Amino acid sequence: MKPAPTLSSAFLEPAGHSLPGPLLELRKQRGTALVDMPLPTRKTENWKYSSRHLKLTDGLAASLPATGKNGLSLSLPGYRVVFRNGVMIPEASDFPDIEGILIQRFGDLDDSDAAALAERLDNTLDTRAVQMARLNSARFEDGLYIRLDKEAVLDQPLFFVHEVTGTDSGSAYPRIYVDAARHSQITLVEEYLSSGDQPVMVDSVTEFTLGDGANVTSVRLVMEGENVQHIGATGVRQAANSRFESHCVGFGGPLRRHDLMVRLEGEGGECKLNGVVVTQGKQHYDNHTSIEHVAAHCNSEETYRNIAADQSHAVFNGRIHIHEDAQKSNANMNNKNLLLSTGAEIDTKPELEIYADDVKCAHGATIGQLDKISLFYLVSRGIGRREANTLLTMAFINELVEQIPVQAVKDAAQIRLNEFFDQTFEEA
Amino acid sequence: MLSIKNLHASVEGEEILKGINLEIKAGEVHAIMGPNGSGKSTLSQVLAGNETFEVTEGEITLNGENLLDLETEERAREGIFLAFQYPVEIPGVSNLQFLRTAVNAMRTHRGEPEMNAAEFMKLAREVSKQVDLDPAFLKRGVNEGFSGGEKKRNEIMQALLLQPKLAILDETDSGLDIDALQVVSKGVNALRADDRAILMVTHYQRLLNHIVPDYVHVLAGGRIVKSGGRELALELEERGYGWLGVKDEETTPSAAS
Ligand SMILES: Nc1ncnc2c1ncn2[C@@H]1O[C@H](COP(=O)(O)OP(=O)(O)OP(=O)(O)O)[C@@H](O)[C@H]1O
Ligand SMILES: [Mg+2]
Repeated sequence: MKPAPTLSSAFLEPAGHSLPGPLLELRKQRGTALVDMPLPTRKTENWKYSSRHLKLTDGLAASLPATGKNGLSLSLPGYRVVFRNGVMIPEASDFPDIEGILIQRFGDLDDSDAAALAERLDNTLDTRAVQMARLNSARFEDGLYIRLDKEAVLDQPLFFVHEVTGTDSGSAYPRIYVDAARHSQITLVEEYLSSGDQPVMVDSVTEFTLGDGANVTSVRLVMEGENVQHIGATGVRQAANSRFESHCVGFGGPLRRHDLMVRLEGEGGECKLNGVVVTQGKQHYDNHTSIEHVAAHCNSEETYRNIAADQSHAVFNGRIHIHEDAQKSNANMNNKNLLLSTGAEIDTKPELEIYADDVKCAHGATIGQLDKISLFYLVSRGIGRREANTLLTMAFINELVEQIPVQAVKDAAQIRLNEFFDQTFEEA
Repeated sequence: MLSIKNLHASVEGEEILKGINLEIKAGEVHAIMGPNGSGKSTLSQVLAGNETFEVTEGEITLNGENLLDLETEERAREGIFLAFQYPVEIPGVSNLQFLRTAVNAMRTHRGEPEMNAAEFMKLAREVSKQVDLDPAFLKRGVNEGFSGGEKKRNEIMQALLLQPKLAILDETDSGLDIDALQVVSKGVNALRADDRAILMVTHYQRLLNHIVPDYVHVLAGGRIVKSGGRELALELEERGYGWLGVKDEETTPSAAS
């Protein structure tokens, strides 16, 4: 048997940038372990549909220039941290110094915070399942550490904007770690953007740990261009009575992959995972989610919607694992898919592993097209084809868009959605 | 206004309409009755431009213009309105958004400025009162979870908002309780105008007590087998369709009210 391919040596060169000692040490360790890591292939179950879109050319191994020019002009309300090509741009960032809340780039951490962070990094992820997160751990050049002391509340959403300048080919490894102590609260918005046209790979990892009763909302908006492959992983660990909410809105590209892994480790924990994915052209988008009910009496609710136009391809894989001791678990997973063209493809797969007997677990998946009768009803009132198609497609995701708790994200998503509708639906 | 000549239409290769001839002038109200499955809804849908049905022969003109050349939305903008026998539920699109989009599409077509949300809300509230529909229904999804009667009132509300030249009402009276029938009839009568024609499909003479038609036609087996004045409806109520040479087992009206 042919051995599985491994990373080319170009990716194993030590990454640059100055980091505090403990983080450098961690990165080096992780790098050593990468040498014989098998890369995903068609035979790798969780990369079955996507491995052929993953292009790890040597050209992509290069670090990106620390501060590219041509930064996107961002006018974001509220608190923001701007990263460009994997490192923070302090001039573009603006966030408050709030008692009990640490918001700091990895590069600026003092040794004790850096040591504390180094101990935590990767502890929310099953790194066997998320191969590409291991590459991030070996190559991140900077990152954002957010630590909320007990009962600390960030009063406004914090935007983490990661921008690829696309002036050079290479890869970026944005990294976020959110440590939310008990009863603290934060809303973090991750926005992934790009300009330029050089091929780039973004390999991002975001981790959340929630203490007892912590309340964390994560909003993730992926809007990079056709030159960007984006592979992202989000790991979440929840203690008792904590609540985690995730709203992912993603637009397609040559490869978009997101692994979202939530572990409900304390009784009374609750998570809600919403996702909207829109693909067109030859784009590819793959969402893998995993919810582990480790402790008893937890609730999880997951709702994902894919819309695929043209020859694009969307994948949803939703795993729910209810451990033996997780009695009285309540898990609800729903995935609906809309094909806007006969050339589009959607693959959806629930994976249920239930080892406790007293649980409620419901799941459902559908794949359909726009309803012809509904369309006829709308146009019979004089509404144009494009508008009618748009209304019906929005109807498919409205409920999820409405739930996004940050208006600026809703607006940005709607603008991009309108472009998609204009490109997808012809005016008759 | 509307002229139908030798209209044949089929669905999945099966001919449903087998040579319909009908002339409707502005200001007139025509009623079409006939057994279940005789093609009444098919005729209505063909007029509105439903592509499920293929027109194989004949012509339809609206004020001299060939209707068959027009897409559904163009027909609507030219003034054709169909109140559906089974109004469609569209969860996720609010009724208000739907109605405003439709009204603005018409206004744009006529070269009038679009109505903004506030202006439209005012208009929609007024009209919803006219059909006795709580304005709260404006916020719900289009027909989503509406009762049968509420759906029918929503159809009439749309007709009142869109002010068509030809309103085709496909069994807008079925499934209505006595009060709702009054409300809907009032709405339809409000639509009556010298420059507007109404074509109503119904199984019941009782509607015709409220909305007095100028002509009554019997559609059976895809053809108009008899036409007359309103007294024809009374006769049908009394004698059924058998005496017209129409198969009798099909003569019971489908929907009880
Ligand atoms: N989409 C369709 N596919 C196949 N057959 C159809 C379709 N639509 C209508 N038909 C058939 O065409 C015939 C006429 O149907 P239509 O709905 O026009 O009858 P109708 O006169 O309106 O009846 P009713 O009084 O029950 O409403 C019926 O035999 C029906 O089954
Ligand atoms: Mg009918």
